[in-house]
Amino acid sequence: MRTMTRRELALMVGAGALARTVRSGTRKPVVYPGVVGLAEAKAALGTPLDREKAGRAMAEALAASVGAPTGVEAAAALFAADDTVGIKVNCLAGRILSPRVELVEALVDLVAGAGVDRRRIIVFERSNRELQRAGFTIRNQGPPYRCIGTNNDYERQPSTSGAIGSCFARLVSTTCTALVSFGVVKDHDLSGVSAGMKNWYGVIHNPNKYHDNGCDPYIADVARHPFIRDKLRLTVLDGVIAQCHGGPAYRPGATFELGQVAASTDPVAADLWASQAIEMERDKRGLPTLEEAGRPARYLTTAAAVGLGVADPAKLLLVRS
Amino acid sequence: MTIDRRRLVALGAAGAAALLHPRLLSAVASSRGSSASGDDLPAREASWYKKLEEGRVECELCPQACKVADMERGMCGVRENRGGTYYTLVHSLACAVHVDPIEKKPLFHVLPGEKALSFSTAGCNVECKFCQNWELSQFRPEQVTSYDLPPKVLIDAAKKNGARLTAATYGEPVVFWEYVRDVAVAANAAGVRPTVVSNGFIQEKALREVLPLLSAIKVDLKSFRDEFYREQVRGELEPVLKSLQIIREMDVWLEIVVLLVPTLNDSAAEVSELCAWVKAKLGPDVPVHFTRFHPTYRLTDLPPTPVTSLERAWKIGRDAGLNYVYLGNVPGHPGENTVCPGCGEILIRRVGFRIITNRLENGSCPDCQHTIPGVWS
Repeated sequence: MRTMTRRELALMVGAGALARTVRSGTRKPVVYPGVVGLAEAKAALGTPLDREKAGRAMAEALAASVGAPTGVEAAAALFAADDTVGIKVNCLAGRILSPRVELVEALVDLVAGAGVDRRRIIVFERSNRELQRAGFTIRNQGPPYRCIGTNNDYERQPSTSGAIGSCFARLVSTTCTALVSFGVVKDHDLSGVSAGMKNWYGVIHNPNKYHDNGCDPYIADVARHPFIRDKLRLTVLDGVIAQCHGGPAYRPGATFELGQVAASTDPVAADLWASQAIEMERDKRGLPTLEEAGRPARYLTTAAAVGLGVADPAKLLLVRS
Repeated sequence: MTIDRRRLVALGAAGAAALLHPRLLSAVASSRGSSASGDDLPAREASWYKKLEEGRVECELCPQACKVADMERGMCGVRENRGGTYYTLVHSLACAVHVDPIEKKPLFHVLPGEKALSFSTAGCNVECKFCQNWELSQFRPEQVTSYDLPPKVLIDAAKKNGARLTAATYGEPVVFWEYVRDVAVAANAAGVRPTVVSNGFIQEKALREVLPLLSAIKVDLKSFRDEFYREQVRGELEPVLKSLQIIREMDVWLEIVVLLVPTLNDSAAEVSELCAWVKAKLGPDVPVHFTRFHPTYRLTDLPPTPVTSLERAWKIGRDAGLNYVYLGNVPGHPGENTVCPGCGEILIRRVGFRIITNRLENGSCPDCQHTIPGVWS
């Protein structure tokens, strides 16, 4: 793992020292393998993040993820003006351990600032109920953006990707041209980590079928389905408050103030960073490692093996503004 | 009554059977549209599970033995851990209700020609790539339209529709085993015979507790190869074989269906081994139905089972010494008929799910008095 500043990343990119891989089929194929942009954002458990602070953190993390001078310019590098952008939030754990509304809205502002019509920015989760529990307001048409549950509107036939066979939410398969996974940093009882990649379980009709064997290879198989792989532009992780044990539900006493927001065009690297944050906190508390606890995040290696990103800690590049 | 697409498919699956009249259903049950969240589902504490440390639970209903964290569900999708207590979300929540001939199950040795009030909830504990009812079984209860149908209401509906039997079927009754149990209790009290159509993938304790309440059970033995179970079903063979033996041991009427899927489980060697095992472990009088596969769900790249494959299995079964080998999904084929093992005469002639003639007299052949095993009265 290396760390550097956004400016250093920009210089590296300019000098051709960091390959920008091309994601086939995407309209904005910007991917920086292994790069995770980070910004500080601190708030105590159960307290909201100041709006201004949230906006600044989101912009810094996004800018750092692609080496752009500003968050808006970073968004412009990732989203086309005519995109329909779907931001999938993971609200399973309720208000305390879901992506913060203020951070999600900060991202919406950046995407809109890059020229995407706010009516074509859709914050979504499986159901209206889950969104509301996490503090979001349902907005079927906007403004200032749409916020809806997929509410069981799935493709009529299952499609196969590796070992999974699922009906995907039509919002993902049909409506959106660009996708963002907006997760949290938390432990998962079976997969070890639930961050950006496992969030995509929320767009298939049968996630309950794919939790055996540490959710492996299923997490990677969902993420490499063309509906997601070809549209994914960004993974954002709300690490203001993270959870190192007892997930995926909220577990009092297992949360900690990580105080970070992460953004990455590499979904595997983003989750690798999350897994490291969880492991560090477990170590601090004297908890066994995820591997010792019988739930290593094996899906990271599988995801890297099928070309979704970087799972090698030595190749992780943490960038701060 | 308005219905969604999945409901329509469920109704279509009834084939020639009659749907419980919508007016009757609406008179006895309130419908729940497919709801986006599981929060609205009726939750009852599950009967077969144990609590683990840190709020986790382990399901003791089926051999998947899911270990489930708080707010998560088991593989079946219908059981949820809420704060360390495991709940079934589908008790009394039927998503398909029809009046079918018992031949449709198929249970050929149970009250021929009688009607069975057949019901199902959403969910399944395996994932057969060839599932014929996947639009019910592979969905979670909040994703389909369901009806509140408590056991007594269901049995009242059976009686009003002239059904002498109930059948927990379509999806997988193991996942709604508490509902199956309570319907069976209500059915027995009302003189209605409860039956089950299942994959047999269930833990022993749960099976033994409910079996005495049942009049008959049909089990899908999906293959005689564990590899097939793991790759095509996401289950295991051994627990199913054990269930079959327990059912026989507990003397509940049993029939077996084997869906022959071209190239995957229809080899002569596999069928021979299966038939030999049935004869040795369950006895020659357990009916075995070889049925025809049609491409669906995730197995759409295979053709329907050739009739020649079915006929080969039919011959293998009879040559192995099984007394009652049937063919299914081939209407009009002689393999649908019940033939007396004593004299070779046709006792029950069927076309599809219809009984054309039934010559049985008090469960015996009228020509040679050979006793035909089954539930005849």
